[in-house]
Amino acid sequence: MLDILLSQTVSGLVLGGLYVLIAIGLSIIFGLLGIVNFAHGAFFTLGAYFALSLVGAVGWPAVVLSPIIVGGIGMVAERLLIRRLYDKEPLISLIVTFALALLIEATVRLIYGGIGQPFSPPPFMSGFLVWGPILITKYRVGVLATTAMVLLLLWLFLEKTPFGRILRAGSRDPEMVGLLGINLPRVLTWVFGLGCAISGIAGVLAAPLWTVTPAMATNAIMPAFVVVAIGGLGSFAGAVIAGLLVGVVVALTIQFWPEASGAVMYLFMALMLLLRPRGLLGDRWERFE
Amino acid sequence: MARNSGLLIKRRTTLLGVAGLAVAPFAAPHVARAADPIKIGLLLAKTGQIAGQTEYLANGTMLALEQRNNTVMGQPAELVWLDEPTPQGATQNMQKLVQENKVCAVLGGALSSNALAEEAKALELKIPFVCNNAAATDITGKNCNRYTFRLNTPVAVQSRMLAPYALSYGKKWYHITASFAFGQDILRTSRELLKVAGGTEVGVDEVPLNTADFSSFILKIRQAKPDVVVGGLSAGDLTTFLKQWNELGMKGKIPFVEIAIGDTDIWGVGPEAATGIFTKLWDAHNPNNPAEEKAFADAYLKKYGKPAADKAWMGWITARSLFESLDAAKSTDADKIIAALEAWKVPAGNASYSYRKFDHQMLVRNLAVAVKPKITDKWDYFDVKATLPENPAELDKVFGSQEEIGCKM
Repeated sequence: MLDILLSQTVSGLVLGGLYVLIAIGLSIIFGLLGIVNFAHGAFFTLGAYFALSLVGAVGWPAVVLSPIIVGGIGMVAERLLIRRLYDKEPLISLIVTFALALLIEATVRLIYGGIGQPFSPPPFMSGFLVWGPILITKYRVGVLATTAMVLLLLWLFLEKTPFGRILRAGSRDPEMVGLLGINLPRVLTWVFGLGCAISGIAGVLAAPLWTVTPAMATNAIMPAFVVVAIGGLGSFAGAVIAGLLVGVVVALTIQFWPEASGAVMYLFMALMLLLRPRGLLGDRWERFE
Repeated sequence: MARNSGLLIKRRTTLLGVAGLAVAPFAAPHVARAADPIKIGLLLAKTGQIAGQTEYLANGTMLALEQRNNTVMGQPAELVWLDEPTPQGATQNMQKLVQENKVCAVLGGALSSNALAEEAKALELKIPFVCNNAAATDITGKNCNRYTFRLNTPVAVQSRMLAPYALSYGKKWYHITASFAFGQDILRTSRELLKVAGGTEVGVDEVPLNTADFSSFILKIRQAKPDVVVGGLSAGDLTTFLKQWNELGMKGKIPFVEIAIGDTDIWGVGPEAATGIFTKLWDAHNPNNPAEEKAFADAYLKKYGKPAADKAWMGWITARSLFESLDAAKSTDADKIIAALEAWKVPAGNASYSYRKFDHQMLVRNLAVAVKPKITDKWDYFDVKATLPENPAELDKVFGSQEEIGCKM
């Protein structure tokens, strides 16, 4: 039994890693911009489709361009659309970003068609690794390693660079940051692009595992919201812990009670909101409370 | 004076003309109606995991109408396509089609859960409903009604057709099925067949819809060491499962079988990962296709620039059955359309297509197909192993008697 539990835990960590990447962008955008971005899953889809096209046209190394393109599209969306929502009711931003999600999905459907696109892991990452009782594919190890690297770089960026300090200060007191002569609107554009780019990375990593369809965001966006709610809105560490926890809990539920595997994360979230409404590591922020 | 007279005549003429126009609809109502297009409802998902299939169902339906120069009963006809996002949303849209768009019949029903709700609504609204995709047994079984007709072969019948192939691998089966009507139906039927064959179920997983990661399920299957995995997953979920089945090294180690696969499901898997034995209704590359269906496949390729999937044919043949029945009925009256659908019969090679009168189930032979050992054409994944039943005369028996299926209209 221990062997299967260990295998399921590792499998859950890979799934959790993808959830973390999707959720972290959502969390950053909410934490710094105050926007609940319903279109976040659509940027995940774009990441997968750009990777598909780049691999077909250029080869695997070109997939690194996919999140950059997604981030660029995110920045354009911020300049044209999202910027107008900062001082509006939260409901308006929900509706507008939901509409943006539908627009992106419809555009992808128009260009690529509605059916799933075949996409396999790169040949150099095919095969397995067996560590005692644990079986894992090389690609999944690659997903875990990439996730860890992205999270580390992001943490260093937010905590150790001047730009990161401006972001954190801007999220707490935008007026004061503006008075210090910093062009906050431009900073916010970059933040939205960064959040979308991270979602794009998740899309690239998920594409060889999941089915690449215009509707693939539905498998990503709800778990991302659950992870953000459990981890605490706007909390980086909270999203990481919650994402991995959700992945492992789902995997272990599949082992013992598969019928409940789709509902368990929502149950987990409901329990968390009852016991600790601000989530695992959510701060009490004067801006939102 | 002459000028005044001219004006008077013009005014009289105008008045007469206006009066004539005003009474025209009362004098010749049939003339006005003849100009109105016949409207036919299309109820298929526009988004979500099933949208890959519904795109082809809709394309096939539209092609069927186009091949008739967009006319039915000699009048212009048009399709009104609304979404079927959920069972509740689908029934609301069916009501809208009937009450606001004034359609005379509805084609659709991509998912079993939606189709079961839609057929109940069709009965309530008294509107002919031709289900073009869903396979749940109950649609033409215990839930049947006189307004509902269905193309796809019921799950129970397809499972019986597939069982010999599963049993050829062994009697230790693992079931992995979707936790909605279609999957539950497969699980129930397959368990009964396994019991009759004296086999053992070594594991079972009922999987939520839109599962993104099957690795934990696959680890369980690997641990259980079955002779064969009997699937009951639909559309995008089946595609994801087969991709991950290959990724985790299970392809070629444990055989996989499932009923009712769609071409679009396997196209998304990719040549490296595709595996399994399946049932399906039609295959564009089947050399035994009748001439009319080969012509359909050519027309589809010409219009859409890619080969027809099985779902395109399913949309086309159900639409044909409805349009030709409307021609025969010469009326949009529901009772007359139903009578015409019950009488509709077209030849198909050495067999024919028709709906049974007592359950409105179309009798169609199925194909048992296996994924080719080497796939060289990205649109052609299957070798046809058999056409079932081999003898067309056995179709009625294979689909079950009225007592066996429990349909009472």
